[in-house]
Amino acid sequence: MLPAIRDALPGADVCVVDDGSDDQTATVASAHGAVVLRNAVNLGIGGAVQAGYLWARDHGYDIAVQVDGDGQHDPRSVPLLLAPIADGRADLVIGSRFLASGGFRSTALRRAGIRYLSWFIAMRCGARVSDPTSGLRAAGRRAIELFARAYPSDYPEPESIPIAIRAGLRVVEQPTAMAPRLHGRSSIGPSRTLYYLMKVSLALILLPQHPNRRDAR
Amino acid sequence: MTSVEGISLHLRIFGAAVLLAFIGWVVRLLRTERLTLRDSLLWLVSTFIALLTVAFPDLLFVTSRVLGVQVPSNALFVLTIVYLLLNLFSVTVAVSFVASRTRRLTQECAMLRAEIELLQRGRAPTTADRAGQ
Repeated sequence: MLPAIRDALPGADVCVVDDGSDDQTATVASAHGAVVLRNAVNLGIGGAVQAGYLWARDHGYDIAVQVDGDGQHDPRSVPLLLAPIADGRADLVIGSRFLASGGFRSTALRRAGIRYLSWFIAMRCGARVSDPTSGLRAAGRRAIELFARAYPSDYPEPESIPIAIRAGLRVVEQPTAMAPRLHGRSSIGPSRTLYYLMKVSLALILLPQHPNRRDAR
Repeated sequence: MTSVEGISLHLRIFGAAVLLAFIGWVVRLLRTERLTLRDSLLWLVSTFIALLTVAFPDLLFVTSRVLGVQVPSNALFVLTIVYLLLNLFSVTVAVSFVASRTRRLTQECAMLRAEIELLQRGRAPTTADRAGQ
C-alpha cells in the first residue's frame, strides 16, 4: 500500500494511524518513511481517522486525503479527488464506487443498504451522495478543521457527510474504482448490517446540534 | 408512630443503621479523597431521602396516596427502582464523558509520539555527520 502511494503521489506526506494493533503496522509504515500515529488504546475507526485530521490540522496541511489501509482504494485516483478542492469548488470530496464504471461494488445486500443511507442523507440535508460509506476522501482546510473538532465515533463515514454540510462545507463526489479489500475482514458482518443501518439512521436523526461543542470539553 | 402499621420498629432501626453506615462509608471515601464530592452528591442526597422515609414512614404513606398506589410497599419499590435507574444513568453519562476525554488524550499521545519520532529522525543524520567529521 505505501509504495503504491509513493508511486502515485511522490510529493505527498503520508501519515499512518495504527489504532492499537499488535502487528508490525507501525514498524513497516515507519520504515517506509511515513509518520505513524500510534493509538495506545484502540479508539475504533472514528477516533483513529480523527487522529489523522488532528495531525493535518496541527501541521497546517491544506488538503488531507483519507485512504483505507486494506487495499480497497487506489492511490492513483487521488489526484481526481484533489482537483475540486484545488479549483476551490469543494471542501470535501468523496470517492464514489458507483459513479465509476467497473471496479468492485460490494454485495447486493450492502449496495441496498448504501442506497438506503444515501436516500436518508438526501432527506436529512438535501445532499446527493451516491456512496456515503466510502472511506476514500479528500478534505480541504475547512473540512480538516471541522473533522479535527467533531468526528463521529462508531460508523463515522455516512454521519460525517451531513455534519460537513450543516457546517456549510461543499461536498462533492468523484468516480473512483475500488477493489475488494486485500486483507482483513469487514467490521460489519451480515448480522451486523442491520445493526449498522439502525445505528447510522439514528445517528443521522440525532445529529449533534453544535459540532463545535463536541470534544471541546 | 402509631399510624405505622406494617413497618416494625426493628425493621426501621435496621434500615436506618444500614443507611447511616452507607453515609459513613461515603464520607470516609470523601475524606480520604478516593471519591469526589461531585460524583457522590447524588448518592448522598438520595440516601438522605431514604433515611427520611425510614424516620418518618408517614411520608411513604402520603406519597403512595398521592401516586395512587394501593399498597405503600409497592410505592417504596417503585421509588427504589427510580432511584437506582437515576444513579445508574448518571454513571452512564459519566462513562461517556470519560470515554470522549480518553479518545482525545489518546490522540494527543499518538501525535506527541509521532512528533518525537520526527525529531529523532531529523536528528539522526546530523549525529551521523558529526561522527563522520
